[in-house]
Amino acid sequence: MKELKKLYDRIVQQVNINLRELDFDVRPFVENLIDPEKMTKFYAFYGITPDHPLDLEFSHSGLAGSYFLGKCKVTNSLLYKSDIRGDELKREGSTFTFQNFSIPLTTDEVIDIRDSALIKTLVHNYSHDPETAERFFIRSTLAMQFANIHGSPMDGCFLGPFATVDLTTAHDSVIGRYSYIQAGEVHHLRIKPGTIWVNSPNNFNFYYRYKPEALQPYVHMEDGQPSGLLFDFIEEHQGAFQRVFNMVNLDVIDTIPASASLDRYAVILPKTTIAENVLVSQRAYLQNSALGKGANAQENCYIINSTLAGFDVTAHGAKLIEADLEENVFVGFNSFVRGTAESRVCIGQRCIIMPHTIIDIDEPLEIPPGHLVWGLIKNARDLQENSVSLTELTKIEKSFTRGRMHFEGNGAQFVKAFQDRIQHILEVNGAFYDEEHNNAGHAQKNQNLSLNTIQPFRFGEMEGLYPNMIIKL
Amino acid sequence: MEHYSVKDLMVPISEYATVPMGTTLLDAINVLEHAQEAYTISKYQHRAILVLDENRNVVGKIGQLRVLKAIETRPDLDSELEELKSFNFSPEYMAHIQELHRLRGPIMRKEDLKNAAAKKVEEFMQKPTPGEFVSEDASIDTAIHQLVAGTHLSLLVTRNGQIVGILRIADVFAAVYHEMKKHDIAPQNG
Repeated sequence: MKELKKLYDRIVQQVNINLRELDFDVRPFVENLIDPEKMTKFYAFYGITPDHPLDLEFSHSGLAGSYFLGKCKVTNSLLYKSDIRGDELKREGSTFTFQNFSIPLTTDEVIDIRDSALIKTLVHNYSHDPETAERFFIRSTLAMQFANIHGSPMDGCFLGPFATVDLTTAHDSVIGRYSYIQAGEVHHLRIKPGTIWVNSPNNFNFYYRYKPEALQPYVHMEDGQPSGLLFDFIEEHQGAFQRVFNMVNLDVIDTIPASASLDRYAVILPKTTIAENVLVSQRAYLQNSALGKGANAQENCYIINSTLAGFDVTAHGAKLIEADLEENVFVGFNSFVRGTAESRVCIGQRCIIMPHTIIDIDEPLEIPPGHLVWGLIKNARDLQENSVSLTELTKIEKSFTRGRMHFEGNGAQFVKAFQDRIQHILEVNGAFYDEEHNNAGHAQKNQNLSLNTIQPFRFGEMEGLYPNMIIKL
Repeated sequence: MEHYSVKDLMVPISEYATVPMGTTLLDAINVLEHAQEAYTISKYQHRAILVLDENRNVVGKIGQLRVLKAIETRPDLDSELEELKSFNFSPEYMAHIQELHRLRGPIMRKEDLKNAAAKKVEEFMQKPTPGEFVSEDASIDTAIHQLVAGTHLSLLVTRNGQIVGILRIADVFAAVYHEMKKHDIAPQNG
């Protein structure tokens, strides 16, 4: 156990050294972040599949409850219930295109985690940084619960709970709780909680920040502990995951179509129906819901008493409660969409719910088709202030301000960038799969996946850490 | 310009309007007004006030622009614009947002003026930056370079680390003009 404590102290110090210029001290956040007993209690596991390389290297690290897929290297780090999903890493022999550069890959890309602590964090996608095309690095970084590191190399960063960094290389930066950043590259930035920022230099710039007092009930820090409605919600549903993690083999649910994939670490409760080409990822929670053809529920999603008509994307960490989605709706990372049995949220087709949006209503709400929606919405008036039709946004050529949202640049490019990305997500997830076109995605390929578990030292100096190991084909 | 040194053109600190930290905006304006009235008997016209700490060291400066800024400042606007600056919005967009805020309400409202009058000088004074200090023995050429490079309206003149005067851009400009006239350097026609 001593070694685990030493390692944790070292990581905390390393992150603080990187953040010293911002005068930011992570210590108040980390007091109870790692529970040494839990680091010993949970096994780690990894996927074996013919579709991705099996190339794992663990050294002087704790990996409790974490999942690994593809080519990953973890050194001097502590991971707790984190998902390190290397199924979209670039492959040897492929070409990575960035602006006018075509970068040939001479080796498979690796997720390389070093001197970092990741707590219930998702790492996914691939490095979008042309300077490090073959290495998706995460160095000297501390990420709190339900953070997403998505295609974003990190060096010396702190991510608060529910923070997402998407397609952005971040250096020596603090990303506040419930903030979403997609900006290519950031340095020495201290992002306040509840900031939503999507910036493509010379193309468009979208910015919104929650009023601190409005975000407070949902996510806040209390005596160094993350707290709030989002945590309470997850806590309430935590028990259902016990069974899927405790059992080695679960019964196969026979009503799932052959082209759909249901992860064995997902929770599916009655009466849920799943149509063709649906993808349900690990740690997703479905209850009394219907997922239409090509819909997906990504990691840490909760879909309860809801219907998804088809080809809907529920991105990592999004939550839908008492909601009805028409076709082709995108619900971004960590969004929280909650209606009630009497007051449902109805979202029209082709709507884009921006990442980290909170829709929390107690009166029925109908979002018309083809709208972009952001921020905090508690009623129809908030919706007016926090949405715009995609048609109107497409006409913007210079700038646009609505409520607390600021937009500068070309609206058509912004809409196209989102729509292209949604289409890409559906494609890689296998939403459009049919046998004739040989266009299998995660939903189909994940069926060829089996899992192995690995265990930590349970006694002695190394208690809670895992033996150094290399697992390769 | 080499035969001029900074001390030849500076205003001695004893001639300058000063206020201690903790002075309100209204009191500071009163001091400035009195200094302006005294202009009739002093050769220096005052457009700025120096703020002194308890040891009578200069810790800040308040010009007319700073006073207007203190009156015009709305905390919500200021913090919003400050934030947007960090997020790659263009100066044009920032100006646009400022204009939008202007349209929402006039500045010259009694209540706003009253609030501004109660502000303490340290809340809105301009703190001196390293490029704003110049030795009294430095040449005017050096001072001109500092004024231009830093776009300063004045420099704080030091002797042995102590501030002994202010070098104002107006006085430097007058000296340059005088020098041009003296040497008859007008371009020749044809």
